Order: sequence, then structure tokens, then C-alpha cells
Amino acid sequence: MIKAVLQFAVLVALFFGTWFALGKVNWISIFQIKENTVSLEKKLGELIWKSYSQGEKEEHNPAVYCPIQQVVRRICRDNGIDSDKIQLHVFIKDEINAFTLPDNHIVVFTGLVAASNNEAELAGVIGHEMAHMEKNHVMKKMIKEVGLSVLISITAGKGGETIKQLAKMASSSAYDRDLEKEADITSIDYMLKANINPAPFADFLYRLASDEAKLPSQVEWISTHPDSKERANYILEYAKGKTSTPKPILSTAQWDILKTSVSKTGKH
Amino acid sequence: MAEMIETYKPTDHEAEAASNSYLMSLVVLIMGMPLPIVNLLAGIIFFVGNRKRGYYVRWHCTQAMLSQLSLLFMNSTGFWWTVSIIFSKEQVTSRYIAYIITILIFNLSEFIATIYSAIKTRKGIHVEWWFYSSFTNLICKP
Repeated sequence: MIKAVLQFAVLVALFFGTWFALGKVNWISIFQIKENTVSLEKKLGELIWKSYSQGEKEEHNPAVYCPIQQVVRRICRDNGIDSDKIQLHVFIKDEINAFTLPDNHIVVFTGLVAASNNEAELAGVIGHEMAHMEKNHVMKKMIKEVGLSVLISITAGKGGETIKQLAKMASSSAYDRDLEKEADITSIDYMLKANINPAPFADFLYRLASDEAKLPSQVEWISTHPDSKERANYILEYAKGKTSTPKPILSTAQWDILKTSVSKTGKH
Repeated sequence: MAEMIETYKPTDHEAEAASNSYLMSLVVLIMGMPLPIVNLLAGIIFFVGNRKRGYYVRWHCTQAMLSQLSLLFMNSTGFWWTVSIIFSKEQVTSRYIAYIITILIFNLSEFIATIYSAIKTRKGIHVEWWFYSSFTNLICKP
């Protein structure tokens, strides 16, 4: 009996010892996993962006683009994110929506700006999308939905129709519940570090949840996400006692010009 | 793995049955890679089917089944870890790759030992595996 127990202990030690020793090797670098993933995401990003942006009207007006870019840059600056890698796009669309595409494309619809009452609400949604980007949720979603082999074959030049479907899927902005919650919580962390009050983000979710009943097709960002009231609750709960002193990103005049410009370009 | 030729001389039929227990575990080891539970189920079925046979056959069935049992835990962990990487937010890490290599080493060792045992037992030679034989002696009585 003692012999069997001792041998078992040695066997277990051998297993964990082998695992531990092999774990000291940087396999990620040996197999170039990061490089391959980045290269795949880059190729996919190009293809999906090309497919998605066809026929869409991009907003280049500095009065609209620059303030949104300022919000992105503030979050990046205070959270150690390289803002140069982000490819921000503002589309002239009435829908209240924002989403992330592979290769760090963040798309914001003018409808979202129009529906935001202040910069903190807008920053909450942008922070949420940046969290999806930083946590690699976009690629995870795509691999889960269509499989890695399909994604690789697409980058090899096969599947024009699949790219369209992928673009549609990526822009639908629907992720798993766990990933959405992680993005919400990360967004709160981003906001707190960037001295942005997270409470208006929760208010925004409450407000849009009630608007959804009236205009469901316009509130895309809400309808594709988990229960908004539940989200607002855990956002407030998480942020409780963590508030930092808010420092405005935009001046009141800048915000007013942004809202006016958006109303002019859209039909709000 | 220690080899021991016992005084007991199995009949040709017994040697074949004992050898088959390793061959069976070899086949399910290949088949069962994606679903590790298959290994254990096959081992149990074969063990139950031969529980009324002679000591020599039962002993080798038990040893083959026990070796499958340890692989079940290792392979199941690897299987579900892989599933969680594909379907959840879990990432591929060096620790994960190290685990997969570790279980590959253990599976390969088992694979080689199984082929060796299948050949030896078929010739009527009693083969004792390190650790598994001690454990088999505890639970398999003449």
C-alpha cells in the first residue's frame, strides 16, 4: 500500500514537474502566436472594413470628428492605450450605435452622439467599445461564430459573400453576456482613470432602455446587448465609492457645437 | 516499466485475452483523444466483460484500465481547457501549450508501453508497469 502511494506521489510530481518546467518556456513567442493573430486580424480588418464601408457615408466634419476623437484620446492617454493604433470612424446614421471591427476600427454613428446628453454618456459607450477592442473580444466572437479555419481561408482570398456576412455580424455589436459585462466593467475602469464620471453611462442605458420600446430599430446598441437595466445596476454597483474628480474633456461650447453639427448632418 | 516472468504459464487463449486488453486500450487511446471519456468507458466495458476470467487476464485488464483512468483526468483537463479557449474569453498561453505538450508526452509514453505490453502478454510474458502494477496488485486478487 505504502509503495503504491509513494509511486503515485512520484507520478503526480513528475506530471506537475514536467508541466511546470515546460511552462517556463515562452511558447507564445516560439510559435509566433501573437504575430500570427495580429497579422490575421489585420488582414480581416482590411477586408471587413472595405466591405462594410461601401455605401456608408463617413463624417469628416472636424466639428463632429475631433470632439469624438478627443474622448477616445483621453481614455487612451489615461489608460496606457496607444491611441495611434485606433482607426476611428464616424458614420452619418440615425441609429444609436457604435461597434468595433477587427484591427482596431471603432465606428461611431452620429445617432449615438445625438442621443447622448453629455460627454460622459458618449465616453461610456466608446469606452465599452474600446474594451472589446483591448480584450480581443472581436476576434474571439468571429472565431466562435465562423471558426478559425474559415477566417484564415477568407484572408487567403476565398469567400466574398462570407466577408459581407462577417461585416454584418461584426457591426451587429452583439457579444456573449460575459464579454459584454467585462466590456462594461472595463469601460468604468477606463472612465475612472480618465476622470470621467461613470454614473451618466448608467443613466444612458436606463434612458435608452425605455426609448427602445418606442423606436426599437433606432436603438441598435441597446437591443443587441443584455438587459440594459441590469447593466445599469451593475455599473452603478461597481462604480460605487470609486468615483474620481471629473475633469471635462470638451468645453461646453465644443459639446454644443458637436450636438448642433450632428443635428444638421443627421435628421435629429 | 519492470518486466517479470512469473512462474504461472498462461494458456494461449489467456495470453490472447490479456494482450487484447492492451490492444483495446490502444485503439480507444487513438479514438478517444478528442473525447477522453471514451477511453475509460471502453476500459470499464472490457474489464467487466473479463471479470470472470482467470487471474492473469483480470490482472492485465485492471492494469490497462487503471492506466486509462489517469489519462482520463489529464486528457479531460486538456480537452475542456481547449474548449474554453475556443468558446470563451480564455487565451492561449505558454502554460496551456506546456500542458498540452505534457499530456502528449504522457499519452505517448502510455502508447509505447501499451504496444510493448500487448506484444509481451501475447507471448505469455507478464509485464508490470511502474506504479500501475502496485495499484493493480492491491485491487486485483487471485
